Amino acid sequence: MYKYRASKDSGSKSWVMQRITGLALVVLMIGHYILMHYHPDSGHTYQAVLGRMQYSWYRIIDLTFIVLAMYHGLNGIWNIFRDYKMKPWLKYSVISALVIFGIAFTAWGFNIIFSIPYIN
Amino acid sequence: MRGNYLRSPHTLESETKSQSTYKDIKTFDQKNWISENLGYKKDSGSWAWIFHRITGIALIAYLFLHVYSLSPLTKGEAAFNAKMAQFSSPIFMAIEWFLFAFVIFHSLNGIRIVIVDWADGAKYHKQLYRISWVLGIILFLAMGALMFSHELKKLF
Repeated sequence: MYKYRASKDSGSKSWVMQRITGLALVVLMIGHYILMHYHPDSGHTYQAVLGRMQYSWYRIIDLTFIVLAMYHGLNGIWNIFRDYKMKPWLKYSVISALVIFGIAFTAWGFNIIFSIPYIN
Repeated sequence: MRGNYLRSPHTLESETKSQSTYKDIKTFDQKNWISENLGYKKDSGSWAWIFHRITGIALIAYLFLHVYSLSPLTKGEAAFNAKMAQFSSPIFMAIEWFLFAFVIFHSLNGIRIVIVDWADGAKYHKQLYRISWVLGIILFLAMGALMFSHELKKLF
């Protein structure tokens, strides 16, 4: 029945995930803007970052934020590529590049957050 | 690739009624695809789609840049504050303001998309598009007032 379908994956799971992560990111983004940018003097010195990072919940929010944003963003890029007909080699190259970039930058972000010391 | 299909369901209806042949129907032209795509009649939904793509690509690019720009946190206070000093120049502040514009468009249009998909928003998606522009511009100006509050205080 599905002999001529291009792919077994209809993309419906990624579609739902894109909406769920998108809504979560809107909430996180509002929090991020209120906490970081409500005033030009707020939050851009090392001391301010250090102060915030003493709270573990703040670290957890930041880690969630980067994972969700990276997933949503790269899945979005992949959705753009999916609009076009690609040769298999190109398809797998694009997927590999996106996954590698995503994991590398997420790991970098995690490393940055974990490198900030707890003072006490 | 998004080709040039029928202009609207209305066109199709009238054409089948008048028994006109299919040669009147515009088909995708590989040679002139840029002008064909740009010439395609766009309503608010098409523009929302285009802007959503552009802002989305810009935002993921910015996310990579954001991770990079915060990386001096690993090297301690002096390195981080030096990097932040770069980003607090007026030009960077203005760029950040427009970054907020991209964020706000992508967020509001994203909410609109979710409403269209999950809350019967297809019936009023054009109103939603207009509302998101009005709301977006208000939020953009409010953010500008917050970001440049020192400069505004000097002026008034």
